Amino acid sequence: MLQLKMDNQDHDAGLMLRYRDGDTAAFAALYAHYKGPLYRYLLRHVRNAGAAADLFQEVWSHLIATRARYEPRAKFATFLFHIAHNCAIDFFRRDLNLRRAIPSHDPDAQLLEPEVPEHQRPDRVAEFAEQQSALLAAVAALPQEQREAFLLREETGLTVEEIARITDVPVETAKSRLRYAVRKLKDSLRPIQEPEALPLRTYA
Amino acid sequence: MPDERIPDELDDYLRGGSALSGQYKRESSPPPPHALDRMVLEAARPAPFGSKRPFKHQSLAPLAFAASVLLSLALVLAIIFGPQAKKPDDKPRVMQVRMFKSEPPRASPVSARERNPAAWLADISALRRAGHRAEADVEMRRFRSAYPDYIIPINE
Repeated sequence: MLQLKMDNQDHDAGLMLRYRDGDTAAFAALYAHYKGPLYRYLLRHVRNAGAAADLFQEVWSHLIATRARYEPRAKFATFLFHIAHNCAIDFFRRDLNLRRAIPSHDPDAQLLEPEVPEHQRPDRVAEFAEQQSALLAAVAALPQEQREAFLLREETGLTVEEIARITDVPVETAKSRLRYAVRKLKDSLRPIQEPEALPLRTYA
Repeated sequence: MPDERIPDELDDYLRGGSALSGQYKRESSPPPPHALDRMVLEAARPAPFGSKRPFKHQSLAPLAFAASVLLSLALVLAIIFGPQAKKPDDKPRVMQVRMFKSEPPRASPVSARERNPAAWLADISALRRAGHRAEADVEMRRFRSAYPDYIIPINE
């Protein structure tokens, strides 16, 4: 995950300025740094791999197309994820059927999360894998605004104020969304974390 | 569940290092497909000087120009000195037309069998109109011997 400090953010803004002035190597460095967090944010936010790939490309295309107007008024991550937020909002507006097909409390929502590669999920750690699936399912089941606040926090390490700026809401609203998201996720994971709530299972 | 615990939970979470964040960070992270990487990085290259392909095309341009010049030259030479230009019966035909159109023949270099009777009669008429009556008569005799059965129009 991306936990960026201010120095790194200034460095990223400098890279973006260099790219604005024609340095494509600077863009490559930015892309390598942010592609993972941005892709995960989009994937777990829209809960559809194809849509996430399209949005991922759309976000970078927008950044590339508007690079000449870039001014470092905020952290680069705030700039990038504000574009991503707008693209995701447009996606949700365009495809209302997606929201109807995947209601927030749909227990099958986790099925839309792409399967984790086998080498990253050893079978011997069955309980750990089960917790991972449960967490992603719980994230997917969050209301859209709460899910986005949580994903922005986890994927960028940005403050609540910066998340509010990205999502165009007052700080208190962003804080409230994040608060409820954290609370729901903890509640949803509690039965797994507590031994008496685990389902009966025998291991060889 | 009392509401007072919510701010505490959020503060704990925002301080970092919470169990929830730790668990989220341990989740597997599917990377973006490589095809996306290629597309984005390709799109990020500025067209004028980012790609080497235009330069490659430019380096081939003189060669392409030279090839088209050579092909054009070969085509022109083929038209001028080609096999059609050397047809043996083309040249006499042209000369024949020129000879009769430019000036009336005093003596036809072409044998009578090669002459078209109508054209021959027309030439004879031209000779008469030009005042070369004797030559027109000679030509008429030759015509008669060549085409004894040809019906000559009245005005000839």
